[in-house]
Amino acid sequence: MISVDVGGTFTDVVAVEKGKVRVKKLPTSKTREKAVLEGLAALGVKDKKTFNHASTIGLNSILTRNLPKIGFLTTWGHRDILDMGRGWRPLDALTNPSWRRSFGDAMRPLVPRYLRRGIKERILQTGEVLIDLDAAQAREELETLKRQNIEGIAICLINAYVNNDHEVRLRELVKEVLGDIPVSISSEVSPLAKEYTRASTTVVDTFMKLIMGQYVDNLLKGAEKLGFRGNTNLADCAAMLIPHKFSMQKPFRNIFSGPAAGTVSAAYFGRLINEEHLICCDIGGTTSDISIVREGKPTVRTEFEIEQDMIVNTLANEIFSIGAGGGSIVHVSPTGELLVGPESAGGDPGPACYDKGGKSLTTTDICLLIGIVDADRFMGGEMPLYPKLAREAVERLNIKLPNEEKIRFAYAVALNNIAEGITDVCVSSGVDPRDYSLLAYGSAGPMLLPALLEELRVKRVIVPPNPGAFSALGLLSTDLVFTNERTAYMVLTPDKAEKIDKVYQELEDVMIKEIGKREGIEIERTFDGMYVGQTWTTSLVSMPAGRITAETIREMIANFNTEYEKRAGNKFEYLPVMGVTYRSRIMVPLPKAPYEKVSQRQAGRPKTQRKKVLSCIKDSKGNDIEVSEYDREELMLGDVIKGPAIIREPMSTTHILEGQKAVIGKYGEIYVERS
Amino acid sequence: MNRHRRPAEKFLYVEKKDVPGKICPECRSSNVKEYPILSDGGWFTVTKCQDCLFSLQRTPFPPEARLGSKLRLLSDYL
Amino acid sequence: MRKPVKDLSAKEFDQLYNCDRFSALVLGNRYRYIVKHMCTGLLTRAFSIILRDWYDFAGTISGPPELNYPMVAVSDSLILFIGTMPYAVSNTVEEYGVSNIEPGDVLLCNDPYRKGTHVMDTCFIRPVFYQGKIVAFINLTAHLLDMGGIVPGGFGAEKVNIFENGLVIPPSVLYKKNKPYPPTWKLLFDNTRYGEVLLPDIKTIYESLRLGEQLLLESIEKYGLDAIHGAMRYSCDVAEDAAVEGISKLPDGVYVGEELVDADGIDDTEEYRLRVKITKKKSRIEVDLSGTSRQARTCINAGWLDAEDAVVMALKFLVDPLAPVNSGSFRPVDLVLPEGTVVSALPPEGPIYLYWEMTNPLLLAVWKALSNAVGADAVGGDVGSLTIHSANGLWPDGRLWLNQSVVGGEHGPWGANKVADGDNYSTIVLANSYDTSTEAAEADSPVVLLRKEYVTDSGGPGIHRGGSAVRRDSLWLLPGEHRCVPLHFKTPSGFGVFGGRDGTQGAVWLFEPKVWRKYKEKYGLIPVTTDVYNESIPIAGVLNSKTKELDSKGEYFWPWRQKVWHIDAEYIFRYQTNGGGGWGDPFQKDPEIVRQQVRDEYVSIEGARRDYGVVIIGTNDPHKEPEKIEVDWEETQKLRRNSSR
Repeated sequence: MISVDVGGTFTDVVAVEKGKVRVKKLPTSKTREKAVLEGLAALGVKDKKTFNHASTIGLNSILTRNLPKIGFLTTWGHRDILDMGRGWRPLDALTNPSWRRSFGDAMRPLVPRYLRRGIKERILQTGEVLIDLDAAQAREELETLKRQNIEGIAICLINAYVNNDHEVRLRELVKEVLGDIPVSISSEVSPLAKEYTRASTTVVDTFMKLIMGQYVDNLLKGAEKLGFRGNTNLADCAAMLIPHKFSMQKPFRNIFSGPAAGTVSAAYFGRLINEEHLICCDIGGTTSDISIVREGKPTVRTEFEIEQDMIVNTLANEIFSIGAGGGSIVHVSPTGELLVGPESAGGDPGPACYDKGGKSLTTTDICLLIGIVDADRFMGGEMPLYPKLAREAVERLNIKLPNEEKIRFAYAVALNNIAEGITDVCVSSGVDPRDYSLLAYGSAGPMLLPALLEELRVKRVIVPPNPGAFSALGLLSTDLVFTNERTAYMVLTPDKAEKIDKVYQELEDVMIKEIGKREGIEIERTFDGMYVGQTWTTSLVSMPAGRITAETIREMIANFNTEYEKRAGNKFEYLPVMGVTYRSRIMVPLPKAPYEKVSQRQAGRPKTQRKKVLSCIKDSKGNDIEVSEYDREELMLGDVIKGPAIIREPMSTTHILEGQKAVIGKYGEIYVERS
Repeated sequence: MNRHRRPAEKFLYVEKKDVPGKICPECRSSNVKEYPILSDGGWFTVTKCQDCLFSLQRTPFPPEARLGSKLRLLSDYL
Repeated sequence: MRKPVKDLSAKEFDQLYNCDRFSALVLGNRYRYIVKHMCTGLLTRAFSIILRDWYDFAGTISGPPELNYPMVAVSDSLILFIGTMPYAVSNTVEEYGVSNIEPGDVLLCNDPYRKGTHVMDTCFIRPVFYQGKIVAFINLTAHLLDMGGIVPGGFGAEKVNIFENGLVIPPSVLYKKNKPYPPTWKLLFDNTRYGEVLLPDIKTIYESLRLGEQLLLESIEKYGLDAIHGAMRYSCDVAEDAAVEGISKLPDGVYVGEELVDADGIDDTEEYRLRVKITKKKSRIEVDLSGTSRQARTCINAGWLDAEDAVVMALKFLVDPLAPVNSGSFRPVDLVLPEGTVVSALPPEGPIYLYWEMTNPLLLAVWKALSNAVGADAVGGDVGSLTIHSANGLWPDGRLWLNQSVVGGEHGPWGANKVADGDNYSTIVLANSYDTSTEAAEADSPVVLLRKEYVTDSGGPGIHRGGSAVRRDSLWLLPGEHRCVPLHFKTPSGFGVFGGRDGTQGAVWLFEPKVWRKYKEKYGLIPVTTDVYNESIPIAGVLNSKTKELDSKGEYFWPWRQKVWHIDAEYIFRYQTNGGGGWGDPFQKDPEIVRQQVRDEYVSIEGARRDYGVVIIGTNDPHKEPEKIEVDWEETQKLRRNSSR
């Protein structure tokens, strides 16, 4: 099998054949499929049966507003939904008159107002029709949109999640007037209440049909030319793999699959090494993506926020991105505080030491000057770094401190930002870090995270094999998953059993048709509910599969109360429970990429390749720090390395501090623990 | 709690009392006045230079006047 | 005089704050995280629509009595609450008596004269004990759905004294030893409507306070009490430094500004004026409200705490927008405030309820006063008022429905500034809230929102356009009792700045069922034409007395000729908010941008010519032919040259 993770800066390709893992890292190309096909060609696809794919292409297109031209249709009188959002502003904008909604018409809208049109129709909350769909008026609006040469249409009518007749009819009219352009209707994309989030999800879906549609077509054609004859699966925001044809029916789910794959990779690897509770931290160039794996499973949320208040209703691994990465820029605030990030120098021009024209001082420059990063061994030696340029950038930092102090302070602040981010995630997830291990990956994770072992009070820091391509590996450690959901507000009483049973039957029939068989599959059901009187749901409450009876309803209510108390600290059993969204998922197991075991060292000790003294930072007694350097590929099961030490591999560096030790595990993973 | 009547005047003003004999230590002006103000921490009686706004003195209102010069708690008389 | 924090040496810092600079930075952030987590839990679990859909609550952390109760960190919600909370805590705790407080207590108070805002907002205070002493307070002020009084839910302009307003809870105890203290709960349940919603809400609030307390105690264990208190003082000192620096940048001088509130609930014979005189010298500033109107006869007044909040925040918006909000932000400002004004009302008459209707105009008066002083940093006026609509009635099965702050003018535009056009859909700058979605609103009450859209030519013209006015048409499906509280239609709230022009004024109309029935089939809405307005019942606004259309030179319709509207099914209320103020000379606006705004129907073809000096050709129908719209560059140049500007 072969997998690809297309990130903003790098494209990672991983192939597994006969149990051996091979990795290729390429810079992401402007024409996205180019780098991917290069990677596929390099590793060979002729004999591969499965090709799994994840990317952040969708997210990046939206963030950069590099988007095709589409029209948005909604109920007459409501064309401004997309500018309104949910109306609120974040904490750092509380007293800021310059703050604007990032996707508003005053800033960078996804669909400009003239392409947002109202259709004469109105459906009530009961499903009753107040005003019938006026086909003539609709045609006129569509003709206008046709003249503007739009490439796709997103439709979201008020209350369509209850009665979608008008949306279906409108889609037919679109076909009539505009031909075969991609159309997404909200009642199929995401039949959940609250029109703004449904509308924004539908708009994203139309964009993805256009952006991903062309890309996937080109990719598959290119792979076929290379000799690929297997199955292609696309990962969604929960890194669940879905056969590409089914996936492209609702492509909004694929918008941010790359980092999710990292979490899934962590969950799988964790199960292999018996670590069920993991804090996963993927530190890349610009961001640290933090997620939690609990009892071997990632945390899944029911919505994904692209920008503040820009919401997509999709199951997504909960990932917290903070602006702290290898390329984060060190700078001084107007009030004299030394800050690191969130702005990043990215990969181009990148840190000052890259010598690509970048003048900013970054975390990578700091680590280079300290000596944690080796100028001659970065990226396996393929990319030399220039400490002189880093030093000049330190000089330019406008704060009243000697250069050594600046470096020391910047290093501490960079680490602290990550520690803060991780602590914040632990708090909001209800995690006590003392029960968890920290999994360090991404290009900069192993370099920075062991230093936080004490501060975060985690059990240990674990560096998996191939930490630089860990997310792509994740795509080879997951299963095919089909999901389907629907909103239908219903107070849970025994007499609703038949109705709810019908809902699940319909959800599951659609998926079973795709899968092609009924036997041997596992159906997992959940629902989102709330106490009558609330408006935000408690999501993903478990419930049994099979026929829904009065007894099942009672179980659903009991599960809801238990789950609510777990998350909220109290429950209100006297209040009736309203079921809101019903979700079903069917998993089809896939073979997983094996991790190669490493052999036990028969005699001797791991070889110290080099020794050096680190600059600027001192140990707890104020003395110089002398590190021993090791090459990871030489290390074997059972090896124990005492800190301070550095373990180098082509695409990563692990930095172990004094008072710590590194123990090598059976797959070559590195456990950093307190001595 | 209180029996205040709506003021009869349409517009209200704070009277700033002259403080004869005081000189502002910062700008040497004699235009110094005493009046109540509200700032972080609550109500204060201040003696301030009206030219450079330097405060010669700032005295917090007594505890029973925590809510201002007019609002009083009946319960203080229990 | 304290040295600015950034000028302290490492040694001086350590001595002053009992911790190093690094730990102080970390702890300052930590306090904000704690507040954020506390509030997220409450938002997603609340029962009252006003909490869960409007985010009408705020959380803060305050320091202990010996530090003088500094407010150290705040939530991302309404400034209207946040700026009063330092006093909410100090007044409540001091009056209750510090020595009377025991571990496991939760205190509460809702009295506007002691804690600010209005009686619906109750401040819940959890004293945090550590080694037997109070070391901090964790606080949440939340809007509870009803507090009794003559108006269900409270949003009416007719109340004339505090007894009609609702239950006043003086500083009292709600939990003792972590168990509910029944007498206080019973007082609430027996004197208010909707007790069955208050119960789970208050319990949820309690859990949120416990979460905040637990997180703070963990931090104390880790860093030590001295560092915790030092970091509290540091956070406030940094905010003070930022505020002083911002204020110092203003040119020395004396500045005057005024704003007008239309009328009160008794009759239309009295208008209410907010007047500010700002004196600034070097790094000092004094804001004198002398010349402000006496308090109104009905419940549209605000209290002294609200006044200070609005003035401090008004300044912060203009000169120090980015620093975190806490007690330090208040220190440089002296407020000279006559007692008994519309923003310092005294009991029992002219109670405090719709306080923001006075304090947001107070903020706008400050902005107006300083507009010239700040030059390009001036900000256009916002929508001015919340113009809340509230309604209640019975479903066919006898259950009560309550609709509040959903269909009126609660969401509207911001003014423009040097950065961009104003957002169209926000709320008054002193507030911050979620918009209740149309679908959630329709699931909750018998209403259909026919329109929720923007009004062409309503945003104040400028290089950057003020946000557009919002128009909302609500069709009611069942009979009910409705109240409107429009208070700022006589003059534009969206004043223009830096050469920009004012936004338009709004209004409220009522349409009888016969109007809906007349237009329903053909339009599916009621149109926005002269014919339609002719048939309206004007509720509030400056309107042409014949046609009832908006006319800034027309007649002022006072809203409370009818205090309560008892209407049947199929009536329609139409709300149009004020427009936001523009920034910069509109005749300097890039004609290409004007073209886009005409294409987008934010500006009409006539509006482009009249307001921007831009001549548009190519089509007469932007709706049908948006991309055919073009600028006639020659004519535009001519028009702009010849205009009498």
